[in-house]
Amino acid sequence: MTFKPDSLMNSSAQSYLDPNELTALSQYISSIPERIAVYRTLRDQEIAIMQPVADALQQHTQASDARLEQSLCHGLMVMRHVAMAMLLDDNHLVEERLKGWLPDIVNVHDTQNLDQQLFQLLDQQLGRVFNPSQLSLLKPSLAQAQALIAASSGPSLHAF
Amino acid sequence: MPFDVLRVDLGENYAMVSVADLLMDGRLPGNYFAQDLYVRGSTELGLLENRRGDRLLAIPEPLLQAIYTGLEKETGQASRLVLYNCGRWWGKNFYARFCEELADYYQQPLANLAMAEFSQALQQCWKTHGWGQIKLDMTYRDQGFLGVDIWHSPFTKAAPASQTPSGDLERGILEIFFSQLTGRELCCAQTSCLSKGDDCNRFVLGLEKRLQRLSSLVASGQPHSSIMQTLIQQG
Repeated sequence: MTFKPDSLMNSSAQSYLDPNELTALSQYISSIPERIAVYRTLRDQEIAIMQPVADALQQHTQASDARLEQSLCHGLMVMRHVAMAMLLDDNHLVEERLKGWLPDIVNVHDTQNLDQQLFQLLDQQLGRVFNPSQLSLLKPSLAQAQALIAASSGPSLHAF
Repeated sequence: MPFDVLRVDLGENYAMVSVADLLMDGRLPGNYFAQDLYVRGSTELGLLENRRGDRLLAIPEPLLQAIYTGLEKETGQASRLVLYNCGRWWGKNFYARFCEELADYYQQPLANLAMAEFSQALQQCWKTHGWGQIKLDMTYRDQGFLGVDIWHSPFTKAAPASQTPSGDLERGILEIFFSQLTGRELCCAQTSCLSKGDDCNRFVLGLEKRLQRLSSLVASGQPHSSIMQTLIQQG
């Protein structure tokens, strides 16, 4: 984990923080109210945000309900990680937690195309819920999750 | 092979998918064995533990090397058998603990888990414990063989260079693990090994009578793919 205050504390073990580090810390602290507001919306509105995505996805695809549900679970799970990463301003959290898991799960359930559609719809949906500055807090982690899904296209050994 | 994808498709094609229903149990299973979540420490007591509080132990490479050397010196040829039996002992306990942890985490018996989740969890578990990367190879499933490839194994990396495979510890673990998983008495043999210069450790699981010829094929130095071809042709 490289939660920003964490990494600052690590670097300060032997000396005082330099002015740049102090600035980064105070910027992070002043961004916390907005981060909490976004987090609270994602948490409290989880179903309200995702259900329209589910409905739109269902209209766009012939996929079975089981695969749709699987894909939605990926979306919900990714959003929970994205929310935590945004709250802690931890740019590596999504990748670290999901790297060894999400691509494999996407592969074995063969939901890559569905997941990509879902994340496009989710992007649009988040654009309706949040303003641009709030969106920019979520974007880096969302992009990481989407990259992990895109990377799941490799030849699969899981021929179940 | 008796692997079934046990997930039930309810076939409710016309109902709208409900996100609220997906969240009914209040949680979504994720990456249980994610390293930063799974490995914890109680530094005051000098202990490492997993997320359930079970003890973990980091083994230094020289200790592994010492085990190989010590066994070889004291027991000679029997050292492989000793390692294999240690592996079986370990595998039996590992299987029980692995199943228990997954069943607790998914809040359902392991039999209800889709093979996909099971295999992913095994891969992540293996990796997080620092045992290398494990991959199940289903290429020969219809012929009754399950392949298991282990990359970057620390166990065979510490083994002395050899003309024959030396992953006896892993062979024991896999044999008992998959025997318990499938409910069949399976036999495990190793076809390629880091310690003899191959790219990874490859293991084949199947019924004992069908793997009888394997040891002579491995001893003759044939690569994995041609060993498998011979095994399949013999029927």
